[in-house]
Amino acid sequence: MPRPIPVPDAISKPFWDACNERRLIVQVCTMCDRKQFPPEAECRECGWQFHLEWLETSGRGTIVGFSITYDSRIMAWQEEQPFNNAVVALEEDPEINFFSNLPGVPVGDVPVGATVEVDFIAVSDDQLIPEWKVVE
Amino acid sequence: MAILLSFDIDGTLELGDPPGGVTIDMVRKAIDLGFIVGSCSDRPLSSQRRMWASLDIEPDFVASKHQLGLVRAQFDDADAYYHMGDRDTDESAAKENDFGFWWHTEAELEPWLELVNSD
Amino acid sequence: MARAIHWERNEDPVGIWEHRGKVVLAGAGHSKNTDRRWDGVSMDRTLGAYVVEAARAAMDDAGISPEDVDGIVTSAGGQPAHMSLGSQWGPLRPFFDAPYDSEDGLTYVTAEWIQKQMNLPNVQYMNSHGETVWNLIGLAAQVVGDGRCEVCLVPYPNGNIEGRYHQNPSLEARGGAQWSNPWGWGLSGQGFVFDQYARKYGTNHERMAPFVVQEHANGLLWPYSYYAQHEPGPFTTEDYLNGRWIARDLSIFDCDRPVQAGACYIVTTAERAKDMKQQPVYILDHTESAFTPRSLVQTLDDTESWTDIQAKRSYAGSGLRPEDIDVFAPYDGFAVFTQYFLEAFGWRGVKRGEAHDFCADDITLKGPNPINSGGGNMGTGRMRTVFITDPMEQLQGRAGDRQVDIKAEVAVTIGVLPSNAAALAFSTSPD
Ligand SMILES: [Zn+2]
Repeated sequence: MPRPIPVPDAISKPFWDACNERRLIVQVCTMCDRKQFPPEAECRECGWQFHLEWLETSGRGTIVGFSITYDSRIMAWQEEQPFNNAVVALEEDPEINFFSNLPGVPVGDVPVGATVEVDFIAVSDDQLIPEWKVVE
Repeated sequence: MAILLSFDIDGTLELGDPPGGVTIDMVRKAIDLGFIVGSCSDRPLSSQRRMWASLDIEPDFVASKHQLGLVRAQFDDADAYYHMGDRDTDESAAKENDFGFWWHTEAELEPWLELVNSD
Repeated sequence: MARAIHWERNEDPVGIWEHRGKVVLAGAGHSKNTDRRWDGVSMDRTLGAYVVEAARAAMDDAGISPEDVDGIVTSAGGQPAHMSLGSQWGPLRPFFDAPYDSEDGLTYVTAEWIQKQMNLPNVQYMNSHGETVWNLIGLAAQVVGDGRCEVCLVPYPNGNIEGRYHQNPSLEARGGAQWSNPWGWGLSGQGFVFDQYARKYGTNHERMAPFVVQEHANGLLWPYSYYAQHEPGPFTTEDYLNGRWIARDLSIFDCDRPVQAGACYIVTTAERAKDMKQQPVYILDHTESAFTPRSLVQTLDDTESWTDIQAKRSYAGSGLRPEDIDVFAPYDGFAVFTQYFLEAFGWRGVKRGEAHDFCADDITLKGPNPINSGGGNMGTGRMRTVFITDPMEQLQGRAGDRQVDIKAEVAVTIGVLPSNAAALAFSTSPD
């Protein structure tokens, strides 16, 4: 299915490039010791840009909840309906979230609380995006 | 041969909002010809019933847009099932429940008449 | 994080509003018709025409003439900036003769456009940046209190060109969309928070039914409701439970129906209102809030903490306590987030997780707990203005068949989203 492909910008390019190397990275402010995702130009805590670095994550997380989309406004997704929309909390900072459609998990059978591991799937010839799979 | 016709309302029937090209006369004619006729729409069920009552028509069914499967189960001895509407949700509801599908613009041409003529 | 815009009262501690009880709502008006969409042909049913119609009705209601008006504060598109709720008319479709030779008047309506069309000779203050209707009334109340104008016309347009909107055909996910659209995330955000709520408090989506059904019943009693005008039959529990999912747990009957309509209010000083026709409704306070989630999603924890902050701010600004509020109008577009406002404000002692029990009890108009006596958006369509007009009319005792049986002296209304809200407190008395 053709799906919306992320268009990297100056701030997000390192993240998407890392995805292409199958690495999941988030920003970290070395001044505040605070992780930040999605990436921004400045640390939202201290307002400085100079202390923002990229940090490779464990790539592990927990499913904290989900929805199921039946009638999306995003037209590319309409033929996939219904589909899972899970929310993953990152292991090292549960306030950092990622989205997942949990490929292979039947619609509605989302195991809330289960541990998941990042996987990467191709959305175009030159872009991987993070997806997640349940750890047995 | 029993054929079921499921009409979307808004954008499909002439009294829908927006109005569609399928007239109530076409619906009445289909009923007279023995088709199983009802509506399947995003309108509340009670609103669909009120619409039919205002036309003095007793539909064989009313259903929400995601309930074509229930309609099929209710009339499981019909020989063919068709839904018609103006939205992607109409098309996918028809596909998921193995109904034939006509877009509202096709439905205006009363394609169901050919099904009885070819009998 | 709060946005620092000068007129807003969004920095704690806000303190009692400096103009408490000195600014009033003195009139309300609506376009006669509430339409599902504009047909692109009827020039007497454009958004601009509806706003002018509403403004004239509001001036008649207050008993003032065009010469009296010295300010226009509006929200050009009903949303922040000039953004409209629905689509634009142009640039692919041709515009019309003046005054419909641009989007202004068709898909948004600026103060300048209104002033010109209505020939208001004495306007000295104009502002089109009122955002949603709660912020709009707050802005108007502040500028009148600050003395920038004295008799302020406050129109709120609600436009809809095509019926269904926000369809997104793009295969490129740019800006904020790069983090959500590749996974098809959208209204799933509403479903996700409700799912967290249901898990935490042991409730479920079916338990929303009494609230939504009652809102429809109330809305049928408001003459400007889309449903009163176009689908006047009762909406039943069976109807609600048979609604299809948009994104679980958000059903089609939790979504407000986009409409085309105009409304307008007259905001003035308590002093000036003495000469006007209606019993004034005193504005005790306005407060605002805006938040951004820590990461991608707004969680239930975020939702509860943000609405708590807004509720505390509102009480601090008005000096009211929960037990002082007679008429309470929390926004419902989407219906599945109404309980977060209700529980945050603790109206009628409702605590976190108790909203569905509360609504399963008697919330009828003639009962003790008539929440959203105007019907909300579920009962009237996506106008939002019932959240101002109904509390106002309840306090004035002129809500007709909607008039509640309980005492109606103090009202609080809150919207638009838990993440971006404004609260208003109204009273029959300035004290
Ligand atoms: Zn920092």
